[in-house]
Amino acid sequence: MKTQFEIDLQKTISKNRLLGIWRLMQGYRLKYSAAVISLGISALAKTLTFLLLRYFIDSYFVAEERIYTLPILALGFLVLAIAEGGFTFLSGALSSHSAESITRRLRNFLYDHIQHLTFTYHSKMKTGELIERSTSDVDALKRFFADQAISVGRIFLLFLINFIALLNLNVKLALISVIVVPLVLFVSIVLFKKVSTAYESYQEQEAVLSTTLQENLAGVRVVKAFSRQEYEMTKFEKDNWEKFIRGKKLLIMHSLFWPLSDILCGGQLLVGYLVGAIMAINGDISVGTYLAYSGMVIYIIYPLRNLGRVIVQTSTGLVSYSRVMDIIKENREPLDEGDHLPTTSAKGSIEFENVKFEYEPDDHTLEEINFAVKPGQAIALLGSTGSGKSTLVNLLPRFFEYTGGRIMLDGVELNRYPRKYLRQQIGIVEQEPFLFSRSIRENITYGVGREVTDAEVESAARAAAIHDVILSFKDGYKTLVGERGVTLSGGQKQRVTIARTILKNPRILILDDSTSSVDTETEAEIREALNNLMQDRTTFIIAHRIQSITEADLILVMDKGRIIQRGKHADLVNQEGIYQQIFNIQTRIEVELEKELSNVG
Amino acid sequence: MSDSYYEEEEFQTKFNQKTFSRILGLTRPHLKWVIGFLVTIALVAGMDAVSTWIGKSIIDDGIVKKNIAALTNLIIGYGALVLVQAGSVFLFIYLAGILGERIRYDLRKKMFNHLQALSLNYYSKTPVGWIMARVTSDTERVADLVTWGFVDSTWGVMSILTSMIFMFVINWKLALIVLAILPILLYIAIQFRKRILGEYRSVRKLNSKIVGSYNENITGVRVIKALGREKENLDEFKVLTGSMYRSSFRAAWLSALFLPTVQIISALAVGAVVWYGGYQAETGSMTIGGIQAFVSYITFMMWPIQDIARVFADMQQAIASAERMFSLIDSKPQIENRPKSIDPGTISGDIIFDHVTFRYEEGEEPVLTDLNLHVKRGETIALVGPTGGGKSTIVNLLCRFYEPNEGRIYIGGRDYTSLSLQAIQSRIGVVLQTPHLFSGSIRENLRYGRLDATDADVEESTKVVGAYDFIMRFEKGFETEVGEGGNLLSVGQKQLISLARAVLAKPEVFVMDEATSSVDTMTEVLIQKGMETLLNNCTSFVIAHRLSTIKKANRILVIESGRIAEIGTHADLLKLRGKYYQLYTNQFRHQMETELNIFKEPEIETPSVIA
Repeated sequence: MKTQFEIDLQKTISKNRLLGIWRLMQGYRLKYSAAVISLGISALAKTLTFLLLRYFIDSYFVAEERIYTLPILALGFLVLAIAEGGFTFLSGALSSHSAESITRRLRNFLYDHIQHLTFTYHSKMKTGELIERSTSDVDALKRFFADQAISVGRIFLLFLINFIALLNLNVKLALISVIVVPLVLFVSIVLFKKVSTAYESYQEQEAVLSTTLQENLAGVRVVKAFSRQEYEMTKFEKDNWEKFIRGKKLLIMHSLFWPLSDILCGGQLLVGYLVGAIMAINGDISVGTYLAYSGMVIYIIYPLRNLGRVIVQTSTGLVSYSRVMDIIKENREPLDEGDHLPTTSAKGSIEFENVKFEYEPDDHTLEEINFAVKPGQAIALLGSTGSGKSTLVNLLPRFFEYTGGRIMLDGVELNRYPRKYLRQQIGIVEQEPFLFSRSIRENITYGVGREVTDAEVESAARAAAIHDVILSFKDGYKTLVGERGVTLSGGQKQRVTIARTILKNPRILILDDSTSSVDTETEAEIREALNNLMQDRTTFIIAHRIQSITEADLILVMDKGRIIQRGKHADLVNQEGIYQQIFNIQTRIEVELEKELSNVG
Repeated sequence: MSDSYYEEEEFQTKFNQKTFSRILGLTRPHLKWVIGFLVTIALVAGMDAVSTWIGKSIIDDGIVKKNIAALTNLIIGYGALVLVQAGSVFLFIYLAGILGERIRYDLRKKMFNHLQALSLNYYSKTPVGWIMARVTSDTERVADLVTWGFVDSTWGVMSILTSMIFMFVINWKLALIVLAILPILLYIAIQFRKRILGEYRSVRKLNSKIVGSYNENITGVRVIKALGREKENLDEFKVLTGSMYRSSFRAAWLSALFLPTVQIISALAVGAVVWYGGYQAETGSMTIGGIQAFVSYITFMMWPIQDIARVFADMQQAIASAERMFSLIDSKPQIENRPKSIDPGTISGDIIFDHVTFRYEEGEEPVLTDLNLHVKRGETIALVGPTGGGKSTIVNLLCRFYEPNEGRIYIGGRDYTSLSLQAIQSRIGVVLQTPHLFSGSIRENLRYGRLDATDADVEESTKVVGAYDFIMRFEKGFETEVGEGGNLLSVGQKQLISLARAVLAKPEVFVMDEATSSVDTMTEVLIQKGMETLLNNCTSFVIAHRLSTIKKANRILVIESGRIAEIGTHADLLKLRGKYYQLYTNQFRHQMETELNIFKEPEIETPSVIA
C-alpha cells in the first residue's frame, strides 16, 4: 500500500465550492495536472495525425515532391497513434489514481470524523441521511474528479488545439466552422437540463415503486389476511404504469436531443465541407489541407455536443460536495484533550458538587446535583423518564460536558481527564444492547484493545452466564450475530454485552437495569451476571424497579433534574415520599394477587 | 437497513440457450417495435458508411476533378443523408427505449402479480432484499440486453459489415489487411471487457461492505465511544477503503488502457494503408479520397468493436439476472386453491383441529404435534405459553397461511382445503403483533379492511377500538399520512389502527396475535369495552399477555412444545396450580408493577445515551 497524504480535511472547507474542491485535492494536484497535460498531448497527437495526412496527400498525390519515403510516413502515423494512445492512457490512469486516492482519503476521514462527532450531533442526525452522504455523495464527488472535471478538460483542449490548427491552415475556413458552436452549446445545455429533470422525475417514481413493492413484501401477512391481492395488484399497476409513462417522457427528451444536435452538427459540417471543397477547387487550399480539415472539424464540433451533459452532471457533483462538507465542518470531540493522565486505573471515588447541565440554555436538565461515592460503592438512580438520571450518568464518560459546578474523580476535576482515559475506566451496560454483525467472540472482545486468549473470553462469558448458550450454537464462539448469523434474544444480547464489559474490566460501571422484557428465568441469570460484574467496582444503576436496588449504598430519587430523596433502602422505606410509595406498591401487588387467587377458590 | 439489502448476489453462468430464448420470448408481444428499431439502427449504421463514401467522392469527383456541379450534388446528398439519419436516430432511440420501458413494465407486473400468489413459506425463506433486487435491478439488466444490447450489437455488426463492403469496393487488397486485423481487435476488446467487468463486480461488493460499515459505525456510535474503539475501527475501515481503492483503480486503469490499445492496433492498419496505398497511388489505382475513406473507416472501426465487446460481456450478467428472475416467476405457490374449491358465502360454525401435525420444513421437528381442538361457534379462545411453543403456528394454520402436514382442519363442518383461500381469508380478521400499515392516509389504511366501507363506517370502526380520539387530535384527522410502513405513528397507534381495520372487515372469525401489547392501560380498557360486542358475535382466537384479555376468554389453551399442555377456564387452570398458575402469577406481578408505577412516562423524547 502506498503512503497516503493525511490532511485535516476540515481545514480545506471553503464557501467557494470550487476552491474547496481544489483544496481537497491537496497532495494530488500535480498528478491531476499531469493527467490534464497528457490529455492535451494526446489531443495534439491526433491533430498532428491529420496534418501528417495532409502532408502525405499533398506530397504523394498532388505535388509529387516525395521527400520522405512511404515507410517513414507509415511509421509516422504509427508513432503518432502510439503517442495519442499512450498519453490517453496516461491521462486516464493518472486522473483515476488521483480521484481514487482523494476519495479514499475522504472516506477514511469521514468515517473517523463521524465516530468522533458528539452525541448531540448524532442524536439529531438521521442514520440514513449520514449514510447517504457518506456513500452516494462521496461517489458523486469521485465521479466529479474521475470523469466530469476531466471531460470538461478534454472537450476544452480538443476544441482549442484543433481550432488553433485550423486557424493555421486557413483563418476563413476555421471561423466558418465554428459559427454553430454557440448554438450547439446552448441547445445541449438547455435540452440536457430538461433531460435531467425528466430523469429525476423518473427516479422519483422508481423510489415510489420500490416503496410500494417493499411495503407489499413486508406486509405480506396483512395482504393475505385481508386477501387484498387484487387491490395490491391494482395499486402496483398504477405506480408501475406511471413509471412507464415517465420513462417514456424521459425517452422522448433523449430521442429528440440526439438527432436534433446531429442535425445541427451535420449542418455545420456540411457548410464547412462545401466551403472547404470550393476553396480547394479554386486552389485557395490544397487537397491535403481539405482532407486534414474534414478530419479535424469533427473534433471541434461533436465533443461540444457532450458539454451540456457534462456541465449538468458537474453541478450535481458540486451539490454533493456541500452535503459531504456539512458533516466535516462539525467539530470533533477531542479524545486525548486533558492535562491529567494517570498511569494507573482510577480508584473510583466520585463527587458531584452542585453539578448543573443543560442541553439548551435554561432547560434545567440537571440542577444542584450533590453527592459523593466511595470506590466500590453502588449508587442507584430512580426516577421517571426525563428526570435526568440518564443524563447524569452520561456526564461521567464526558459524553456530555456539565455546564456548572464540578465533578471530581479521585480528587481531580473530571474535565481534566482525557475522554479516552475516562472511557477506558467506565463500563456501560445498555438497556437496549447493541451487538455488531461479527462473531460472538469478536463482540465480546470488541473494544478491549489487546489480544485476548480464548480462556479469558470463556471465563468472561461464564461470569456473564452466556457460555453455555454460546456453546449450544453450531459454530460456538465463531457464530455470527445478526442478519447473517443467529438471532439472539434480548436477554442473550444483554449477557453478551455483560461479558464484554467484564472483559474490559472497568473501575466504574454504569448499568441500565432493565429486565422488563425478559422472562423470569433469564431475569435470574442476568441478575447473577450483573452481580458478578458489580464486584469491586463503583457502580451506577439506573433502576426501573425497587427489587434490584435494595442493596445499593446510596439511592438517589430524581425528578425534573433534581435529587428529591436520598439515602439507603432502609432509610427511604421509612421516609414519606416517592420511594415509600413505590415500595408499598410491591406489597400491594402481593395482596392483590392473593385476593385474585382466593376469588377463584 | 440490513447488510444483505446492499449485498448484491453476483454470479455468472455459462451461456444458456434455454434462458436466452426465453429472454427473446419477452419481446414477442412487441415484435413490431423490435423489427422497427433493428431496421432503423441498421439503416443508421449503413448511412454512417455511406457518408464516409460521400466524403471520398467529394474529394475524388469534386475537388480533384474540379467539378462544382458534382460537388453540389454530393453536398445535397450529404445534407439529405444527415436529415434521414437524424430521423432514423430518433426512431431507434424512441422505439428501443419504449420497448425497454415496456419490457421492464411487463416483467415487474408479472413478478409482482406472481408474488401475490406465493405462500408465506416462500417469504419466510426468501429475504425481502433479494426479491426487491429481482424486481428492480434484474429487470433493468434483462430489458437492457434486449434493447440497447440488441441496438449496439446490430449497429456494431452492420457498421463493420458496410464499412468492409465499401473498403472492398475501393481496394480489395487493402480491405483484406483490415479484415485480418478485425478478429484480433475483437478478441482483445472482449478480453478487456471481461476483466473490467470482474473488477467492477468486486468494486460493488466492496461498496456494499463500506455501506455496511458506515451503518454500524453510525448506529453503534454510542457503544463505540463508550468502549473507545475508534482507532481499531478506523484501521479496519482503512483496509476496506484500501481494497476499494485498488479495485476501482484497476478497473479505471484497464478502461483507460482499453481504447488506446485498440487505437494503436488500428493505427497499424492505417500505417499499412498509407504504405501500400502510396505505392498504388503511383499506378493510379488508389485515389486521394480512397485513402481518406480507408483512414476514416479504420479509425471509426474501434467504436463498433467496443460496443460488440461490451454487449458480449454484459450478456453473461444479463443471463444470470434472467435466471434468477425466472426462478422467482417459476416458483410454485405452496398453498393454492384445490380444484373445485368453493366459497360457501359464510364460514361461520365450529372450528375443529383434528390430529393436526405441522412442521415448517421437511425433516424438521414438528412445531405442532397431534393437536386436537374443538372450538364452538362464538367461543373466545386465549392462547398462552412460552415463545416458540406453537401459538403463532396455530394462528397461521387457522388462517391457512400454511396447511397441516397431517390431520385436518374443519371450518363450519367442511374440511377447509375444500374451500377457496379467498373464502377463508376474507372472513378471518387478523390483527398481528407487529402492525403493518401502508403509506397513505389513516383513512386509506382503515379502508384496507373493507374497500367499499363508507366514511361513517370507517370512523365507527375507530370508535369501537378507541382510536377515534387520538386520530381526531391530529391536525388532519383521518387524512393524516402515516408514512412509510406507518413509521410516523407510534407502535401503539399502529396497533389500534390495524385493530380498527380488522373490525371494519366484519370478520366471522377474529384472530389477535398479542395485538395490543404497546397500548397503554387506559386505551386497553376502551378497547375491551368496544370489542366486547364484536367478540361475542364471532369465534375468536387471542394470543395475549394481558391478564384481562386472557381471563375473559371462554377457554384458555396453554401451548408448550407444540402440544396443548393445559386447557380450561381461568378458574379451572388456576386451581390446577400448574403451568398456567405459574404464568399467571408472574404476569400478574409484572403487570401490576407497570400499571401502578407512579412514574408516569411522559411522551417527550430526550436525547440520552442510556435510556
